[in-house]
Amino acid sequence: MESAERAPAARDPVPRVDVYGFERPADFDYAAYEAFSSAYLGVLAHRAGRWARLLRGSGGVRRSRTVKRYVRKGIPLEHRARVWMAVSGAQAQMDQHPGYYHQLLQGERNSSLEEAIRTDLNRTFPDNVKFRKTAEPCLQSALHNVLLAYGLHNQGVGYCQGMNFIAGYLILITKNEEESFWLLDALVGRILPDYYSPAMLGLKTDQEVLAELVRTKLPAVAALMDGHGVLWTLVVSRWFVCLFVDVLPVETVLRIWDCLFNEGSKIIFRVALTLIKHHQALILEADSVPDICDKFKQITKGDFVMECHTFMQKIFSEPGSLSMTTISRLRESCRAALLAQG
Amino acid sequence: MEAIWLYQFRLIVIGDSTVGKSCLIRRFTEGRFAPVSDPTVGVDFFSRLVEIEPGKRIKLQIWDTAGQERFRSITRAYYRNSVGGLLLFDITNRRSFQNVHEWLEETKVHVQPYQIVFVLVGHKCDLDTQRQVTRHEAEKLAAAYGMKYIETSARDAINVEKAFTDLTRDIYELVKRGEITIQEGWEGVKSGFVPNVVHSSEEVVKSERRCLC
Repeated sequence: MESAERAPAARDPVPRVDVYGFERPADFDYAAYEAFSSAYLGVLAHRAGRWARLLRGSGGVRRSRTVKRYVRKGIPLEHRARVWMAVSGAQAQMDQHPGYYHQLLQGERNSSLEEAIRTDLNRTFPDNVKFRKTAEPCLQSALHNVLLAYGLHNQGVGYCQGMNFIAGYLILITKNEEESFWLLDALVGRILPDYYSPAMLGLKTDQEVLAELVRTKLPAVAALMDGHGVLWTLVVSRWFVCLFVDVLPVETVLRIWDCLFNEGSKIIFRVALTLIKHHQALILEADSVPDICDKFKQITKGDFVMECHTFMQKIFSEPGSLSMTTISRLRESCRAALLAQG
Repeated sequence: MEAIWLYQFRLIVIGDSTVGKSCLIRRFTEGRFAPVSDPTVGVDFFSRLVEIEPGKRIKLQIWDTAGQERFRSITRAYYRNSVGGLLLFDITNRRSFQNVHEWLEETKVHVQPYQIVFVLVGHKCDLDTQRQVTRHEAEKLAAAYGMKYIETSARDAINVEKAFTDLTRDIYELVKRGEITIQEGWEGVKSGFVPNVVHSSEEVVKSERRCLC
């Protein structure tokens, strides 16, 4: 409200609700966003043309070198759902199991699962107009259905907080419950290694893997964390559990997810390492635990992360080489260490 | 410039999902209340100074934790380095009260060899008409576990200050009496920064510090 009074709304070309329905926060930097978006619109227009040609040529999207290159440069919003569905294998699953999603919702209920989900419906994206109770249609009911169906489908996982944010984004992009369900299955069931099951072993493992990568690539930051006894779970849990939702700007998260669906969970490490490496000097200024926490919140804000196109180029250059072999080896050793700790 | 404080205490806030842990902490550290709050995934961190006696300040480091059961695999690592804890339940949610015992058992296992001074907090006391747990039974349960009991509301700012400062004072007394001591490799209690400049409370500060050695 206040900012609207200061900057006359009539001349403000950036709407206060974004295309996804999110209200911009009170401290939103309209000037910086405008400067960025005027350049980015050109990129989007160019990419839209290239994608239109790519998609016109063949019947479907297959994972290939070209597609990988295209995806890294961003999938246009109008093709995003279709491309996510194709490259993640969600489309294939959906085609192989027609009607399955609806059967789940009509089948036997599970009251504790429903209660856990219901608890979080109201507090998923209260800043998004499409999730308000007054919205028509209100996406809360779609969110409820997708999470419930998923919990019934994958009973080992059920419902874990964090999945509400992920499913919420999927619904905003696909505008389709069934597709959201199969995309959630692609993420939780295949792309992410066991993040959400009750023991959360995959999640804990990956946070340790990040710690090891930081130790090798950015030893000064690792020394700072060790010196103050800060566990990585304190500063990066949200990054992993919510896949950067509500951590980074919406557009940036979607660009990250483009690559996540196509290239897999390695992308999460690239993003995390880029954020840390790029802000290494700032992080190293911290001299207490609260300071460290503040710095890790600071580095997810500002121009660097808002400028999603440059940011996505950076994640493939800044952290240096990061082979799947390295990640797999680290995952194995970290997992073993965690299991030994009990 | 860091303010001057006598000790730093680490507190942990635990309890079932949606009992209002984050809202209580935000009210205490930021003085505001948001009717809707994101679920906490993992652990979050807040800090504030409290004055327990004129001139005697304690720095509180407060760990906010996820309430959903599976996140305990992450949050339990934070018990060990906490000296105090607020165990919350929601007075309008009986289940959250029934789970108090389970939360205490969970902490007991993971806090070894240290101990945590807990206060039992019946939260959302502004919603008295929807109450499912009486004050009497909550007090009885708290007494059985040797805890104090307090009812709070983050929305109406009832007893929020009191919940944190009373707990801080109790811990301070235990530290003063030597029942809790500062230990190498334990972050629960840390000795603060005492200025060279002589001020009125210096004498007190000195005598208290002596008994900790």
